[in-house]
Amino acid sequence: MENTILDVRNLQVTFDTYGGSVKAVRGLDFSLRKGETLAIVGESGSGKSVTTKALMGLIPKPAGKIPKGEILFEGRDLAKLSDKQMQKIRGKEISMIFQDPMTSLNPTMKIGKQIMEGLILHQKLSQSHAKTRAIELLELVGIPEPKSRINQYPHQFSGGMRQRVVIAIALACNPKILIADEPTTALDVTIQAQILELMKDIQKKMDTSIIFITHDLGVVANVADRVAVMYAGKIVEIGTVDDVFYNPKHPYTWGLLGSMPTVDNKEEKLIAIPGTPPDLIHPPQGDAFAVRNEYVMQIDLEEEPPLFKVSDSHYAATWLLHEDAPEVEPPAAVKERMKGITSNHTSVREDYHS
Amino acid sequence: MSKDKILEVKELKQYFHTKKEVIKAVDGISFDIYRGETFGLVGGESGCGKSTTGRTIIRLYDATSGEVKFNGIDVHDKKSKKNLKQFNRQMQMIFQDPYASLNPRMTVREIIAEGIDIHGLIKNEKEKTERVQQLLETVGLNKEHASRYPHEFSGGQRQRIGIARALAVDPEFIIADEPISALDVSIQAQVVNLMKELQEKHGLTYLFIAHDLSMVKYISDRIAVMYFGKIVELADSDELYNNPLHPYTKSLLSAIPLPDPDFERDRTRTIYDPSKHDSVNAEFREVTPGHWVFCTEGEFKNFKLAKAKA
Ligand SMILES: Nc1ncnc2c1ncn2[C@@H]1O[C@H](COP(=O)(O)OP(=O)(O)OP(=O)(O)O)[C@@H](O)[C@H]1O
Ligand SMILES: Nc1ncnc2c1ncn2[C@@H]1O[C@H](COP(=O)(O)OP(=O)(O)OP(=O)(O)O)[C@@H](O)[C@H]1O
Ligand SMILES: [Mg+2]
Ligand SMILES: [Mg+2]
Repeated sequence: MENTILDVRNLQVTFDTYGGSVKAVRGLDFSLRKGETLAIVGESGSGKSVTTKALMGLIPKPAGKIPKGEILFEGRDLAKLSDKQMQKIRGKEISMIFQDPMTSLNPTMKIGKQIMEGLILHQKLSQSHAKTRAIELLELVGIPEPKSRINQYPHQFSGGMRQRVVIAIALACNPKILIADEPTTALDVTIQAQILELMKDIQKKMDTSIIFITHDLGVVANVADRVAVMYAGKIVEIGTVDDVFYNPKHPYTWGLLGSMPTVDNKEEKLIAIPGTPPDLIHPPQGDAFAVRNEYVMQIDLEEEPPLFKVSDSHYAATWLLHEDAPEVEPPAAVKERMKGITSNHTSVREDYHS
Repeated sequence: MSKDKILEVKELKQYFHTKKEVIKAVDGISFDIYRGETFGLVGGESGCGKSTTGRTIIRLYDATSGEVKFNGIDVHDKKSKKNLKQFNRQMQMIFQDPYASLNPRMTVREIIAEGIDIHGLIKNEKEKTERVQQLLETVGLNKEHASRYPHEFSGGQRQRIGIARALAVDPEFIIADEPISALDVSIQAQVVNLMKELQEKHGLTYLFIAHDLSMVKYISDRIAVMYFGKIVELADSDELYNNPLHPYTKSLLSAIPLPDPDFERDRTRTIYDPSKHDSVNAEFREVTPGHWVFCTEGEFKNFKLAKAKA
């Protein structure tokens, strides 16, 4: 595909544990385009973080392995690179923002110095150039009085400001890809909104590609161009944000969307996905979601569904899309959501604009 | 719903004294909770005093000043100490973090039976085992789970254990402090459905603390919005959502991402600037029946006018 910056093919990641080999990522295919935001959603334990760690070359060895698959970035397969080669890419071409800003900042080092480190290492900037650039970056992420702020320590910053610093560090070398793993989960809603706006702003200016992981479907609707839904180490549905929210095809996606209340569904029960996720040491035969799927068919228990094409932009891995499958309707609550909140809730909207 | 008050909070204050300063975590808040309802307490900012409010009500802290009446009895009153044990049974709390709030060295049975033992509710071991099993079933777990330890459960299952523990002593009133924030969305739905079901069956009353307004709106009958130690607005949940009056509530509503791409594409955020209005002369005033706003006399008149026009 034109404009593709990253192409992941049949990626598999396993971990050797006492109980056996955990198949955390079981054959993942997706591509990332220049300047787009791809959101990855899915249940806890579905392999979102492991996927991003694989992209960053951060799978812990020797327990963690990539037995199969390719991560093609500008013609190179990152899965085959040595640690040393990966170090040159990490933080420079691809950088990452973690959930808790405190774990990625050094509490004993001045903010300015932490930003300058990458600039000196990767960009080979001189001390004074790095400092000028660090101030520019703090300004870019909206920290007031950056000239004096660079001499402060992380504990002198609020939670939201720390996350801005982490973003500044991640952006220091103009990465082509920014991976954000739950970057706003630890922040309150008002600050979350500011950080999301900031990321979009920067993306526009620098044409960065973003992979954004979150549990919050509201955040996904806000930031994503495309959405990948993961279940048990695989992508079960992928499409544009509109495809996935307004025309979801996989029963797991239905469950996910139905589990969030809409503005007007007070009287109805939320759809909870029954059961628990499968054991990834012994992944089930057939469709891993089968036992929790109320639309389960015999074939689900026998054979894994391929990704069926819904449209040029939209794919889902469910036998329900096979031409011989019976027609099924998504649950009422999901159909309601597919119409959009907008249509039945204009008053809040007007208020927001006033 | 009958308007029988189970909880009355008047001018409650909870100040923490640190070496450097006095933190006014809760700064003079008043509200009533009616029997059988779910009262949502939300605040967008971390540290605005939501948990402290819950913890002070249940007497984990002694209040700095103010009054909390439960079933008409002042719970912070020295004289009511003898009622304390009964109070401890009738009011229970579910904690924010399902990982930290369960003792890792106790089995699920021991965790759930602890309250039953403290209050001497059931002496007979066989009956106690049956009661624990029944509670596990109530929250959607099964009796085999009784002999296991907390680390063997997922986040949603642990939160269910916390709920079973709270229910074990047959409470009337449960304070749920962000019971679902640490869980992923599909498990959030399980826990919320369960809480609603239990409310219908047992006539429970909830104080539901959260920062996610969409889930609070779904579960609550009435909602109070907190901002730095004060309640700035209180109304029926539909009213609050459809006709927010206080600028902070408006800004909070405008910041919450909704799972609808079209809506998100042209959302604009309202930014709250507290310096824009006078909070010194502000008071809690009732603009329309049941809809309270923390505002000045002047603002109050404007709200009334706007309401009359609408
Ligand atoms: N170092 C490890 N050793 C063994 N198993 C691991 C390791 N890291 C992750 N796993 C397993 O891999 C699977 C995927 O984990 P991952 O962290 O990617 O989940 P996730 O989708 O990011 O979940 P969450 O939403 O909770 O962050 C899980 O079953 C997890 O237990
Ligand atoms: N025991 C304590 N001693 C001193 N200060 C405290 C104590 N408990 C809470 N505080 C302070 O009181 C304020 C209110 O805290 P509280 O935990 O009630 O906030 P919250 O609204 O529940 O926040 P969150 O959304 O992060 O859970 C904060 O500034 C907090 O640091
Ligand atoms: Mg993760
Ligand atoms: Mg709290």
